[in-house]
Amino acid sequence: MSIQGIIFIDILGLGFLILIINLVRTHRLYVGYGIIWLLAVTGLMVLVSLQPLLAFITAFVGARFPASTLSLLAFVFIFGVLIFFSIQLSQISARQIDIIQSMAINERLEQEEKAENKERQDS
Amino acid sequence: MNPKVLIVIPAYNEERSIANVLAGLRQYAPEFDRVVINDGSRDATGSIVLEMGEKQLRHVSNLGYGRALQTGLKYALIQTYDIVVSFDADGQHRPEDVPGLVNALLDSDADMVIGSRYCDARPYSGSFSRKLGQILFSFLTRLLIGWRIFDTSSGFKAFRASVCEEILGKTFWDFHTETIVRLSLMGFRIKEHPIVVRERLHGYSMHSLISIIEYPFKTLLLIAAATMDGFLERRAR
Repeated sequence: MSIQGIIFIDILGLGFLILIINLVRTHRLYVGYGIIWLLAVTGLMVLVSLQPLLAFITAFVGARFPASTLSLLAFVFIFGVLIFFSIQLSQISARQIDIIQSMAINERLEQEEKAENKERQDS
Repeated sequence: MNPKVLIVIPAYNEERSIANVLAGLRQYAPEFDRVVINDGSRDATGSIVLEMGEKQLRHVSNLGYGRALQTGLKYALIQTYDIVVSFDADGQHRPEDVPGLVNALLDSDADMVIGSRYCDARPYSGSFSRKLGQILFSFLTRLLIGWRIFDTSSGFKAFRASVCEEILGKTFWDFHTETIVRLSLMGFRIKEHPIVVRERLHGYSMHSLISIIEYPFKTLLLIAAATMDGFLERRAR
C-alpha cells in the first residue's frame, strides 16, 4: 500500500477513535462495546501501517494479496461482532421474558394473597 | 390423596372462544384448577376471564405460545401442583378429553402423555404442509429416540411436575417435537393418548404466517441442540 493510502487510513482511523471516545464520554455507547470498536480500529491502523506484519499474515493465511487479507479479517471481525450482538440481544430478550413472566406470576400471587386475607377477615 | 392438577390455557386474542372453553372445562373437568395465561391479548379475552371469575396470569406483551405455557408451568411449580395439563384456548380441544388424559398419565408410568390426533393408526389430516410436517417430525423423532410419536405438535398434553422442573431450565420454543426429543433423551417416559380435535371456529391461530415458515427451522435447530445436550450429558456420566 502506498504511503498516501496508509496516511489516509490512519487519519480515518483517528477520526473513528475520536468518535468512539466521544460516544462513550456522552454515554451513547456502552464502554464494553466501545472497547470492541477501539480494538478493531487500532488493529486496522497497526496492520495497515506495519507492512511487514501485513505481509506475514498474508503469507500465513495463504492469501496472494494484502488487500485480500484485510477483506478476510474484516469479514471475520464483522461475523464475530454479529454473533456477539446476537448473543447480547438474546440475553436482553431472555431477561425481558423473565420480567414479563415474573410480573404476571407476582400479580396473580398478590391477588390470591389479598383474597385469602379478605376471606380470613370476613370469617 | 388426589393429585393437584392445573389446566394451563395460553390465550392470545381469543375473546370469541375463551368463554366456551372455560365453561366446558368447568362442566367436564370441575375437579381440576384452571389458569388462563393471557399472552398480551388486545381484545376482551382478559376481561371475559375475569368476569367468569377464573384465574388469569397476564403478560403485559405478547411472548408467544411456548413462553405463555412456560409462565403457566412456573406458576404450577410455585403452587405445588402435581400435574399440569396444557389446553388450547381456541376451542379445538374437547374439555371432555381432559379427565381421560389425566387418568392416562396417572394409570401409567409415563411422565408425559400427549393427546394425540393420529395414534391408533389414524391417518394424518389437514393441509399438505401440516401432513408433511407431521410425517417429517414423527420420522425424525423415531430416528432420535427409537420409537414413533405420531402427533408431535399437539398442544394438549399432561405432564408431571418433575417434567416441568426439568424443561423450565432448557431451551424450548413451542413444547412440541423438541420437548419430546429432549425429555426422551433425558430418560422421561412419553405416551400418546387418543383424542379428537375439533375445527377452529373463531379467531386465528397463535402461529402467524411467518412463524409457520420459521417453525420447521426453529424446531430442527432445537432438536439438534437437544440431541447435542443428550450426547454431552451421556458423556459426562
